[in-house]
Amino acid sequence: MAIRFDKREAVYIQVIRYFKEQIAIGKIKSGQEIPSRRELAQQLKINPNTVQRAYKEMEEEGLIYTDGNKPSIITEDTNRIKEIRESLITEAIDHFVERITSLQIPKEQILQLVQSKLNELSKESEKNHD
Amino acid sequence: MIKLNGVEKKYGRKSILNGVTFEAEKGQITCLIGINGAGKTTILQSIMGLTPYKKGEITIDGEKLSPKVMEKITYIPDAMTLLPKMRIKDAFQFMRDFYQNWNDERAKEILAFFKLKEEERISQLSKGNTAKVNLLMGLAMDADYILMDEPFSGIDIFSREQIADVFSSHLVEDRGVIITTHEISDIEHLIDKAVLLDNGVVKKEFMTEQVREDEGKSVIDVMREVYQG
Repeated sequence: MAIRFDKREAVYIQVIRYFKEQIAIGKIKSGQEIPSRRELAQQLKINPNTVQRAYKEMEEEGLIYTDGNKPSIITEDTNRIKEIRESLITEAIDHFVERITSLQIPKEQILQLVQSKLNELSKESEKNHD
Repeated sequence: MIKLNGVEKKYGRKSILNGVTFEAEKGQITCLIGINGAGKTTILQSIMGLTPYKKGEITIDGEKLSPKVMEKITYIPDAMTLLPKMRIKDAFQFMRDFYQNWNDERAKEILAFFKLKEEERISQLSKGNTAKVNLLMGLAMDADYILMDEPFSGIDIFSREQIADVFSSHLVEDRGVIITTHEISDIEHLIDKAVLLDNGVVKKEFMTEQVREDEGKSVIDVMREVYQG
């Protein structure tokens, strides 16, 4: 597990985003145990209080749950996981739209550019599969 | 909590501390940042009662400094104070004999954490390993607060990484740590609070996660504003 941290963004937010992404792409499975606060702090070389904050927030958001003193578990609520995936997509689109509209490009051209970029990417991945 | 309120200190006619005020909580890592001569070491020595101060007040968990309160703190100076001829295990024996709050079990655990051996002679350790043993001697004490003076100074990158790992480990769990440094990049994500010093005064005291979250600034951004503003 490794995260490239942005030094100008709260670390706990970056940790939560990392977990959401990993859950959304299925790298971390629902029902899976997550590392203890201390273990994750050691792995990521960050402050344990920061991990504590991230886990608390994730718990409140229904991303993980903890049963007594046992390790925390990723939610088994499939709707919640779907929501996480959708919110990540919305976030990425919002981010993209905000940047691209500030460049004042016609809508048709944006769609065309996105289309050709995606085609390019899928061609590349085909090539890599050969 | 270790609390300093308006602490002043002079050496002869030269003012070293000009009213230093800040707090360091238990369970948190507080980092005193400043160039050499900013007063970092003098602050640690004042907390330890090693140097008398003229004005102001220092309290530990609400109590004034006294021999009893001082047992809660361990101080790790920036240079090794052990005899070079000693092996590490002799140093352990020495500590065991002289300090009631020496924790032998923890000492051995830290030794393993740093991948060092009891048989090694202190004079033959590399600079980085000397720094680790020096740190170990303080960390192994049963104390609520640990003061570390420049633990990263003048050592190689891998030793710095290993020492930085201490701060996210259980070795400092639930303890209050005050560390001084003039180089923040190794530990930017490990500290809870930064206290920026300049010429014996606190220019700014802030929680690092909070300035990242509220202002989108890194610790170095804030330092740049304060020192070069």
